Amino acid sequence: MKAAMKKLLQGFKNFFADFGNAITKGDIWTRLSLIFMGAGYFGRKQYIKGIFMTVFEVLCIIAFVGFFLPYLLKFDTLGDVERVAVFDPVTMTDVVNDYDNSLLILLMGTMGIVFVIAFIFVYILNTRAVYRLQVTEEQGKHINTLAEDIRRFANDRFHITLLALPALGVILFTIVPLIFMVFVAFTNYDENHLAPSKLFTWVGLDNFISLFTTSATATFGYTFVRILAWTLIWAVVATFTTYIGGILLAKLINDKLTYGKRFWRTCFVITIAIPQFVTLLLIGKMFSNYGIINGLLADTGILEFLQSIGLVGEGLSYIPFLTKPGWAHIMIIIINIWIGVPYQMLVATGILMNIPSDQLESARIDGATNRQIFWKIIMPYYLFITGPSLITSFIGNINNFNVIYLLASSGGYVTTDMSMAASQAKEIDLLITWLFTLTNDYSNFKMASVIGIVVFIICAVFTLLTYTRMIAGDKEEEFQ
Amino acid sequence: MKKMINIIWRHLLLIFLVIIWLFPIVWLVVTSFSSYKGVNTFNFFPEEWSIDNYVQLFTRPDTAANFPAWFKNSMIVGVCCCIISTTFVVMVAYAMSCMRFKSRKGIMSFAIIAGMFPGVLSMIAVYFVMKQFGLIDSLFGLVIVYSASSGLGYLICKGFFDTIPASLREAAKIEGASQLTTFVKVVLPLSRPILVYTVINSFLSPWMDFVMARLMIRSKDANDWTVAIGLYNLLDRNLINDYFSVFCAGGVIVAIPISILFVIMQKFYVEGVTGGAVKG
Repeated sequence: MKAAMKKLLQGFKNFFADFGNAITKGDIWTRLSLIFMGAGYFGRKQYIKGIFMTVFEVLCIIAFVGFFLPYLLKFDTLGDVERVAVFDPVTMTDVVNDYDNSLLILLMGTMGIVFVIAFIFVYILNTRAVYRLQVTEEQGKHINTLAEDIRRFANDRFHITLLALPALGVILFTIVPLIFMVFVAFTNYDENHLAPSKLFTWVGLDNFISLFTTSATATFGYTFVRILAWTLIWAVVATFTTYIGGILLAKLINDKLTYGKRFWRTCFVITIAIPQFVTLLLIGKMFSNYGIINGLLADTGILEFLQSIGLVGEGLSYIPFLTKPGWAHIMIIIINIWIGVPYQMLVATGILMNIPSDQLESARIDGATNRQIFWKIIMPYYLFITGPSLITSFIGNINNFNVIYLLASSGGYVTTDMSMAASQAKEIDLLITWLFTLTNDYSNFKMASVIGIVVFIICAVFTLLTYTRMIAGDKEEEFQ
Repeated sequence: MKKMINIIWRHLLLIFLVIIWLFPIVWLVVTSFSSYKGVNTFNFFPEEWSIDNYVQLFTRPDTAANFPAWFKNSMIVGVCCCIISTTFVVMVAYAMSCMRFKSRKGIMSFAIIAGMFPGVLSMIAVYFVMKQFGLIDSLFGLVIVYSASSGLGYLICKGFFDTIPASLREAAKIEGASQLTTFVKVVLPLSRPILVYTVINSFLSPWMDFVMARLMIRSKDANDWTVAIGLYNLLDRNLINDYFSVFCAGGVIVAIPISILFVIMQKFYVEGVTGGAVKG
């Protein structure tokens, strides 16, 4: 971990050192390209590239000054002119003043910042490239033609071709929204400050403090601790039950003693084929207080039996599968096994079938027992391939919105805990569903963002601990 | 003898598991053939059978249930996402697994960190962004939202590429193939199982997801909805007593094409691939 940080810092240092080097040692063309990004290419007779870079630079400057700058100028206060509509008796319409939209300022400001950083990055890269061109010329080596440069993008620079579009998508639809939401955590953007009619502004760490305080009026601290605990228990249990269940089921089906492998597999695969929201809503309805399971249990007399041994309260005419804490927690985990195991089984099948058969044969020739083969060859191989997916599914479960939200809504869960209700949460909520309720139903964007940051920190800690151990080592080539 | 008992035992266990796993599915199917429209609480099988729910689904679209339009919308989104996401995932996975460049480790760590933020958190911001671009209530916006960040989900695919022997790629390189050729002609043909996995996954995600769709499609007009929003809406407290078995029928109809897809593609999961590739 330390080494990785050091490497990163070193990388940054080299990046800027190269830039400085290019400026101090560059000739007139290289230095000129600090102003006109295409100049260096003109100097080496790469005219098309030169024109392209200069046009790019001009477009960037126009976009910045014409579009982002007005928003960035108001970024420190997020605007100070509130929207006022005055009725104009002459035209018979409302006249709205030239107001500031805090939301728009924050959003466009964020985009502007990312835009500037990206531009500076390209700018430095360009200067370095131009300097490298100069060195190549000084050494009298061959300077690439445009066609040769383009061909490099299918060969040693193929990764740039491959990564360009996906990276753009990630920056626009993951990075920018994330930075935006992190900013929101430090503002007072909530139902009382809804843009565009009201302004909101920076409030520092106030929201983080209120997440950890419990008092007569504020119950966020009380709720937060309980929901955090349940989120962690849920994530661990849900991940391991489905992962192990998947391997065991795959082993059971793919064993040579099992007949009709394809048939069994198909039976389980059918359950994946039905969209999750359909099955979840359906199962939620099945287990609801007046659903079919309770109906059948009452019919067959099992309910009476459970009442007589005290598992179900006397006053209830149903089992509160999804409506009482405790019952609901366990049911959700069981239902999640139902949802998740077939999927893991399919993944496990694919991987178990792909184990290099020569390794297994040689182990068998050496006299290894089935158990030894399983633990010494199959499991390490399996863990190597599914290691990343194990982390992803743990993170996925911390953020498992569908299962909790759909079961709670179709099962009809209502909290009876007043303190929880006061902060708009339920006992079975994960941090993520709490966050969603806060934003979608109560427009409490500031607290939602704070919770989001907490979720991120939890995920980050877990991943970095396991990830560096599982992947960052040089195990990558071991199986190639 | 011992072997016989083992065989019987494991098949009994499988039968038991299959019964549990298929119980809700069977209920979904039989309820979809019920002539009673609400939730049947006391009988597993309907008292009267009928195919009216399916007829209603396809021939009598109303303001609450316009299934043909939903299905078309979801299909468009699913196919577009499938193409874009699969391309993105495979491209990123190849770059990360088969190429060695300076910022590779850095980008990988960065992707992990970016993937750790809860999707729901950025959703709200994505909603604001899309609103500025005027892409709310449009299928195009939904496609962008689903597939734009799909490159982050490259890890499983990379794990598979890692198991393809490097000697194959080196051999291609010695024979003068560019990286592009190696990618298209050597690595991709060997990656059918993981391609199938990626294709299925990315085609399914728009069908399965409803949060994002609900956030992005605000229209009250049933023509603009996807299957997910539409079916969810049928379970609304005011509608469920008239539409529950229609909801079940809709669920069955959605599941049929996907099940066929799965069953056909199952064999790709099972084929051993890397085993004998280098030996020849």
